[in-house]
Amino acid sequence: MNRNPILASLCLATLALTPAGAANLSSSLKAGKAELKSAGPLAFAPEGILFVADPGSATVLAIDPSDSKAGQAVGDVAGINEKVAAMLGTTPDQILINDLAIHPVSKKAYLSVSRGKGADAAAVLLRVDAKGKIEEVSLDGVKHAKVSLPNAPSADAKDRRGQSLRQEAITDLAFMDGKVIVAGLSNEEFASNLRVIPFPFADATQGSAIEIFHGAHGRFETNAPVRTFVTYKIQNQPHVLAAYTCTPLVKFPLSDLKPGKKVMGTTIAELGNGNRPLDMIVYKKNGVDYILLNNSRRGVMKLSTEKIDSYQGITKQTDVAGVPYETVAALKGVEHLDKIDDGRAMLLVRGENGSLDLKQLALP
Amino acid sequence: MFWLFSLFLAGITIQLEDGAVVVRGITRPGAVAVYVEGREHLPALAGSQQQRPGEVRFVPRFPLQPGLSYKAFYGDTSAILRIPKVEHKPTARVERIYPTADSLPSNQLKLYLHFSEPMSKGEAWRRVHLVDDTGKTVTGPFLEIEEELWDPTMRRLTVLFDPGRIKRGLVPHNELGPALVEGRRYHIVIDQDWPDAHGTPLAAAYRKTFVVTEADRTPPQLDTWQIQAPRAGTRDPLTVVFPEPLDAALAQRLIRVADTPGTIRLDQGETQWHFTPDAPWKAGPRRLLVGSIVEDLAGNRIGRKFDVDAFEKVEMRMTIQTLELPFIVQP
Repeated sequence: MNRNPILASLCLATLALTPAGAANLSSSLKAGKAELKSAGPLAFAPEGILFVADPGSATVLAIDPSDSKAGQAVGDVAGINEKVAAMLGTTPDQILINDLAIHPVSKKAYLSVSRGKGADAAAVLLRVDAKGKIEEVSLDGVKHAKVSLPNAPSADAKDRRGQSLRQEAITDLAFMDGKVIVAGLSNEEFASNLRVIPFPFADATQGSAIEIFHGAHGRFETNAPVRTFVTYKIQNQPHVLAAYTCTPLVKFPLSDLKPGKKVMGTTIAELGNGNRPLDMIVYKKNGVDYILLNNSRRGVMKLSTEKIDSYQGITKQTDVAGVPYETVAALKGVEHLDKIDDGRAMLLVRGENGSLDLKQLALP
Repeated sequence: MFWLFSLFLAGITIQLEDGAVVVRGITRPGAVAVYVEGREHLPALAGSQQQRPGEVRFVPRFPLQPGLSYKAFYGDTSAILRIPKVEHKPTARVERIYPTADSLPSNQLKLYLHFSEPMSKGEAWRRVHLVDDTGKTVTGPFLEIEEELWDPTMRRLTVLFDPGRIKRGLVPHNELGPALVEGRRYHIVIDQDWPDAHGTPLAAAYRKTFVVTEADRTPPQLDTWQIQAPRAGTRDPLTVVFPEPLDAALAQRLIRVADTPGTIRLDQGETQWHFTPDAPWKAGPRRLLVGSIVEDLAGNRIGRKFDVDAFEKVEMRMTIQTLELPFIVQP
């Protein structure tokens, strides 16, 4: 997902001057048949390399979808789930759209989809062009590379018996400064599991899992898992702004993410009861960077990064709200979002009748 | 095996063969378009067209789905292709819910729902409920994550109580309090309508009842575990007794005997861990290996609470450690 406006514009500028820039990332990819057991969160590198999280096989797949022609994003598409289901020969109740990402150059909307809901569900990557035409992103003969996520912690992997029941949901991933950042949530141990994997992937790259603690009100710290995050520069230093399963919004410097290092995040906001953060983007408006965050129950929130930059964190019990945010009241049922450009975002919205629609949003 | 409904027009036939839609009797190359019946206004099925003399063959990208009908078009000719539904009787059941104990701390963190057969995704948060002792369904007790934390076979679902309501110092905890109130009785209720991997409901609903005890904020301590060592020459189980129940999945995955293959079993409400070796025990000193991320029911790990009180200066572990507990197999 092209989530960093500064980096994206820099990289695109570089690309325009030196066309070889794209080839550098792409040259590490090898043509062949790529395989996906499942298709979860998606993220684009600015050059158009697509990262696909495959929680079913505990890997991240990087592909070059050969989609380098500049284009326009599709307008609204009502009932995208019905269209996708029809194309895959099934009914909408057998379709799960797991993520949405906009190609930074072609502006096509990429979707990661499960066809079927059982253990034998098939993973499909689709893209929607400016005219609303849906096509499958073929994994045959595609330039790709794959990296395994670090092994699950175990007391002694050598004498384990039988198949492990442990599996990790990959809740988000992003690309920044040559690194793929992956947030995971285990179905067994409850712990933060953020991995930073250099790209291009080295043969033996496994990344490293890092524990991140965050405090709330200066007293109780936890290392709960990250739910969704965005990379963003604060005073020119790359940071991760992470939303947690237990509702705080926390910032920490990307440079701190090193194996074995204790990372202490700063809690800058709490997002309210019974609420789950789902997706975040960063965009620039009138010279100010804003974060747009969609939530399960509290709609879409807009935060100014000026306040994040200067905010010192929640340190007192009375300091409940943290960085102020405004809720974009008109937006309801947003399941996923990604940025098209600084003026627009693409939303995947669940309508009241259960249909899923692609909608363009003029960024507030 | 498929029911065929073919239309004959100008010698053109459309029928199903081995999962492909085959049009025969054509005089020049053309394409066949296949739609889910009744959804012809939506995109046609993805698939490949194979031209052969006198016929064109459409191989759908995914197998046609039992229970659905499709409509195939070739020029002015069309045919309805029905794929018979495969009837599955409701046989899937909830086998058990961990923790198996009938009393749980108010800061209980996880439940493991074990099913007898693979289940389907996308239904969990409509199908599992927490009901209190007045019959009222508790609002928002669980962390409703879209991904749903299944095991690879889709037979075990991990359900997390909302950690925001457990962890002290957070808004949900302060405003709503924990989902479970000490001293009260609750039921975990599983709807019979939860579809298995075939889309068939469960054979029966399921209910687990428990009472809530005070919050557990004490990390497990290895020096409180009792090891009951077996005798050499036998395959009697090694038993470890914990003073409190441990998380079932982690106790099964992260506790083992060094260099000794065998089988692990938990019982007594996950307060006893039994290990039966594949081969008889040999006399001598042995080591029990314990992953430091073993948790109790409230998510406290060995040496660390679920939510660390920063003023208590608890050591925070950055890496997973394997701890050792020695024992002796007597001759």
